[in-house]
Amino acid sequence: MIRCPTCARQQEPQLLCRDCGAPLALEVDYFAALGFPRRLSLDLRQLEGAYHARGRLLHPDRFASASDAVRDASLKSTALLTRSYRTLRDPISRGRYWLELSGDKLSDDNKGVPLDLAELVFEVQEELAQLRDSGGDSGKLSRELVTAVRERRQTLQELASEAEEELQKNFATWDAGASDSGELKADLKAILSKIAYLRTLIRDVERDLESLESAQGTSSQSTKSF
Amino acid sequence: MSTIFGIDLGTTNSLIAVMDGDGPRVIADPATGNPLLPSVVALAPDGSVEVGSEAIELEPRFNVERNGQICAMGLAGDEYGAVIRSVKRYMGLGGDEIAPEERHRYAFADLSGALVRFQVGKRSYTPPQISAEILRKLKNWAQTATSQKVEKVVITVPAYFNDGQRQATKDAGRLAGLEVVRLVNEPTAASLAYGLHSMASGRVAVYDLGGGTFDISILSIKEGIFEVLATNGDTHLGGDDMDRALVDFILSDLPESLKVERLAWNSARGEAEAAKKRLSSTESTEIVLELPGRTVRKNLTRAEFERMVDGLVDRTLEKCSLALKDASLAASDIDAVVLVGGSTRTPLVRRRVESFFGRSALCSIDPDQVVALGAAVQAGILTGARRDMLLLDVVPLSLGIETMGSVMERLIHRNTTIPTSVKEMFTTAVDNQTHVDIHVLQGERELAQDCRSLARFKLGPIQAQPAGLPRIEVTFLIDANGILNVTARDERTGREHSVDVKPSYGLTDEEIERMLEEALDLGEEDLTQRLLIQARNDAEQILGALSKQLREYGHLLDRAERARIEELAAMLEAQRTGQDREAIAATVDQLNQVTTPFAQRIMDVAIRDAFEKKSVEELS
Repeated sequence: MIRCPTCARQQEPQLLCRDCGAPLALEVDYFAALGFPRRLSLDLRQLEGAYHARGRLLHPDRFASASDAVRDASLKSTALLTRSYRTLRDPISRGRYWLELSGDKLSDDNKGVPLDLAELVFEVQEELAQLRDSGGDSGKLSRELVTAVRERRQTLQELASEAEEELQKNFATWDAGASDSGELKADLKAILSKIAYLRTLIRDVERDLESLESAQGTSSQSTKSF
Repeated sequence: MSTIFGIDLGTTNSLIAVMDGDGPRVIADPATGNPLLPSVVALAPDGSVEVGSEAIELEPRFNVERNGQICAMGLAGDEYGAVIRSVKRYMGLGGDEIAPEERHRYAFADLSGALVRFQVGKRSYTPPQISAEILRKLKNWAQTATSQKVEKVVITVPAYFNDGQRQATKDAGRLAGLEVVRLVNEPTAASLAYGLHSMASGRVAVYDLGGGTFDISILSIKEGIFEVLATNGDTHLGGDDMDRALVDFILSDLPESLKVERLAWNSARGEAEAAKKRLSSTESTEIVLELPGRTVRKNLTRAEFERMVDGLVDRTLEKCSLALKDASLAASDIDAVVLVGGSTRTPLVRRRVESFFGRSALCSIDPDQVVALGAAVQAGILTGARRDMLLLDVVPLSLGIETMGSVMERLIHRNTTIPTSVKEMFTTAVDNQTHVDIHVLQGERELAQDCRSLARFKLGPIQAQPAGLPRIEVTFLIDANGILNVTARDERTGREHSVDVKPSYGLTDEEIERMLEEALDLGEEDLTQRLLIQARNDAEQILGALSKQLREYGHLLDRAERARIEELAAMLEAQRTGQDREAIAATVDQLNQVTTPFAQRIMDVAIRDAFEKKSVEELS
């Protein structure tokens, strides 16, 4: 229990005083910040609704003429609220955060190549290396290679959304089961690190494709400048 | 709560607005009724300042007199002062960041320093000081027009302004004696002004092309909550660049040395701006630039002009694509497109934006006034007059720190809703290390050197301990103005560390304090004493200039003129050590009047000489 410095009301830790509406600037967890139970499956529309409702009450704009202490509390609470919303809105960061809260960080030993992706990852890296070697020189660049990399992007994106669907489907199962079950956490970690790995790979592919496109773009563009 | 005013501190024009009941209104110049204050500041070596159309009058340029003669007008030559346009482009910039092609435009004090400084005689001015003059003038307008004291303001900034540019804007407010309650992004402010009229829900794209800056913001509006999803832009892209393209075109046949000649350039800029405006309503126009000894005549069609500036519009649309991508939206997902900024009056801009988003754009509110109106609405939100609305803006650029190998480690990603914070744990790398140096960066590139340096600070003193043992938690918090605040706490002792952040570009707190003190000293001094000192300075200056002119150009005067001038000069010489301020001022005025034709003749001769010399050099 905590005590509101403005109206002295005793209450559960939360961002806003239940009685007088003063921002409390407490370090509550992201779920509590938005008033949600600590569960993996969340209704995104409800989450946004809670974020907006609390934002309206907590935002520094509401306390522009308040004391320095209250203004500071409002700023800190709103920062925590937006960070909470941003984290919980995305199923992957939500999953990671949930793991962290249950004392189990997705640690570095999970950053290796997931076994079922190993072959695909090897091929993609190979193609990206060839793409970089050509350095955007259209003479050296085979059309087939670019098309192949574009198709890879497609495949990777599909794999990522499949994994995300699997994650979402399992959230409900995990919420129902005991959160301290070791096997369950291992499953969650495996899917999360797989998605994290795929996202990084997709980003690499997109970056290489973009730099290729911009390299070709600048060579064909006129050199008009302002 | 006292009234909060809304200010649009623009590149070309600045405005001040206020909430009147439920709606905002722009406060016009009480003397002329003009709602726009040109963002032009004239600085004279004696420290006197003119702002707005009075400053434009002083801008060095050529003018055709009624008798057909071409005369140089305004403050000429660096020793006579400077007339600064578009000071916003220099806000938060380091001296080394001034593009080479811009260096001829003004006398810069030091191009290696952490801050741009304009040199005027013996004084130098930073951009926040010059912006403060514009703010001061707006403050006086509003105080005269509303009979209320103007103390608290909301100032708008381009959404894509970085931390340093925002800080510089806040500094300008402080220097003008204003409490800047909030900085609001210009496109977001515009959406507030539109939102008042039609509080519909939906996704809105605000395309804001001003005099010097471009912003695109994508917002989601829902039950009074204006949530920015993504923003992008360029703080050095705007109508000024269209004008410059036109200046290049107008001056294209002149010798190189004349192209950078300040009077010629300023005159061409004026013609360029006028031609650009004419081409918004006509298909072709003739540009005539009168220079001493030559007349430049150019015909320009709208199509030709559009080809000149098409690349500029391309660049804005690329930014639109990036913003849409960050918002995970397609152009077809946008429910409304709003045009903001004077440059959206150019038909090409409008046409291409409409074709990009596939829908016609809204511009029912005057694009020059909509940002100021929105600033007033935000002021209304802050005073509690509009509790039904709330703005959730984002940080435009990622924020991070320099880590091993000079890599930028992102702590807060671009387009994160503000206020936001992130905590980072720091420790020591060697035994008994007492300080940790932290370099804060802003930008999207991988390497620290490619990002913009925001600030450096030292954590400590840390108690001497084995490496890795101290644990200091640093909180990076971006407030609702988009400005970074840093705090640090020792995790074990719970003790707060003081963090002395030294901005990489910009004024330190001490420098601002000093500037404010200087201004205060001046204010608290005995008024008569101050006026006397000023009158003596004026006298000294005019006498000094006069004796030099008489020596070099005495032959331009006839005997009677010379006698009258020398008589007045002797009188002033006698008065200037005395206490009679009014007598000194009166003689200075008389002397000024008597010598005006003389000064005009000198300037004509000097300009003619300069042009003949340059032309000869070019030809040979």
